[in-house]
Amino acid sequence: MHATIQKPIEEIVDHIDPKEKVFVVGCYNCAWKCHSGGPEETEAMAGRLIARGVQVVGYATPGPQGMSLCKLDNTRKVLKEDYSEQTRQADAFLVLACGQGIHTVIDATDGSMVHPGCDTIFGGETVSATDIEEFCSLCGECVIEGTGGLCPMTLCSKQLLNGPCGGAENGHCEVDTEKPCGWILIYERLKKLGRIDLLDPYRKPKNHAKWSRPRRLRVGPDEATFVSLAGKHTVNNRN
Amino acid sequence: MKITRLFEQGVFVVTSEVGPIKGAVSRDKTIHPTCAREAMFLQHNVHAVNVTDNQSAVMRLGSLAASVLLKDKGIESVYQLTCRDRNRIALQSDLLTAYSLGIDNVLLLTGDHIQLGDHKEAKPVFDLDSVQLLHMAMGLRNGYDITGHPIENPPDMAYGAVVNPNFDPIELQLIKMRKKVDAGAEFFQTQAVYDEAVFDRFIDKAAVMGRPIQLGVVVLKSPQMGKYMNQNVSGIMVPQSWIDEIGSVDKADRKKKAAEMTGRLVRKLKDRVQGVHIMPLGWTDVVPDILAHAGIEVKRLAFAA
Repeated sequence: MHATIQKPIEEIVDHIDPKEKVFVVGCYNCAWKCHSGGPEETEAMAGRLIARGVQVVGYATPGPQGMSLCKLDNTRKVLKEDYSEQTRQADAFLVLACGQGIHTVIDATDGSMVHPGCDTIFGGETVSATDIEEFCSLCGECVIEGTGGLCPMTLCSKQLLNGPCGGAENGHCEVDTEKPCGWILIYERLKKLGRIDLLDPYRKPKNHAKWSRPRRLRVGPDEATFVSLAGKHTVNNRN
Repeated sequence: MKITRLFEQGVFVVTSEVGPIKGAVSRDKTIHPTCAREAMFLQHNVHAVNVTDNQSAVMRLGSLAASVLLKDKGIESVYQLTCRDRNRIALQSDLLTAYSLGIDNVLLLTGDHIQLGDHKEAKPVFDLDSVQLLHMAMGLRNGYDITGHPIENPPDMAYGAVVNPNFDPIELQLIKMRKKVDAGAEFFQTQAVYDEAVFDRFIDKAAVMGRPIQLGVVVLKSPQMGKYMNQNVSGIMVPQSWIDEIGSVDKADRKKKAAEMTGRLVRKLKDRVQGVHIMPLGWTDVVPDILAHAGIEVKRLAFAA
């Protein structure tokens, strides 16, 4: 999921022109789980804006529950059909979602002005109703076969691929005494699995061209193609 | 001169260290930067002087400029190069530049994280790790850049690496050390050791890897510094006994005491290593005293470099 956190209300209000009529959009998937843009927060945001003198023409969190705002066809239908009257009056959309959701609103409304209501902070695992933690950096080239599934690109502050630096103390990373050293986590996990041998091979430098932006994925029932500066990479999903 | 030649001749190799100044070298050649003045105390007392690379992620004069400055003054330097601030293009280019400017020794490191330094909002690079950097340096020596393109006049320098005996679990640090050996590391300098027990659990397993190891020691200047290092310097633990001992004498006598304490530790451990790397943190003038306490005579090669 894409973890998001609301921007401070003062910052949001500051970005809205007093003459602007605003429609507030939330996301019923990730931002809902983050309490940054579900139906409750979206409705509340409309009220908070009105209380601060912003002209709000309506609000919506395209459902059903679990539906991502970044699913373009659904978002377009909700904004252009279900809420057509209100969205037609809107000069801008305040979006309580990640950057993907914000772009979806641009596409769904044929290029309308948007204001981000959230900061998109990382892609994470919903560990519990109150905790979202980061285990993947979306680098485009997974190296976790050799680390028991724990990603050193994410769990190691220096993104080292061949083992820890010398900076850990009492099991903690040198950048933060609260944060475990990612490589010690990997070591302990492999030790438990009886696979310390996985640490021995040399890991080559990463192909950062696969981490170029923007990237694209074309998908079909039989094959998928990942497009980055590293080139087009097509994989068959069936054979 | 490559310090690997000293190791090959069985010489106990003594190195020390200076940190480049936070500022530029004056155009007025009569004004010597602090790091050059510190290095002058070392000139005839050690084989080579490490020059740190924006140590602790604090922005300073480049380690290459300071390394060349020392060479010009007749002091052999060990140019430190970290992965923190450079991608693979810059790292290779800096290695080629170092050789072109006369550098013979390089220490290749990961580098402290930016969060430890004075530019916390900077983007950390870490395009390569220290093992990959060693591989790449060997590639350049063999005539190829990291992409496999041939290069003109390959650079031939001595390449060293770092290992931290304080690391827990030590097995994990030794796995990385083995990778550095396999990648081509020709000598090792250790992170600061204070505790003999820490050294004991490390040295035999490290020694079998067959590369010369220099024991790293950091001069403890005051009890405050010991406490500070335990709280703020990653990967080093100063035992309470050291903090108490340096605190047992007046400030005026601490240089003498620090030399005695450091020399005593080196004397105990020197027979199990191939050299010592003394990190005096500015107190370069105590290095001769440390070596005297340690019973180390800095031997030169029989023939000219």
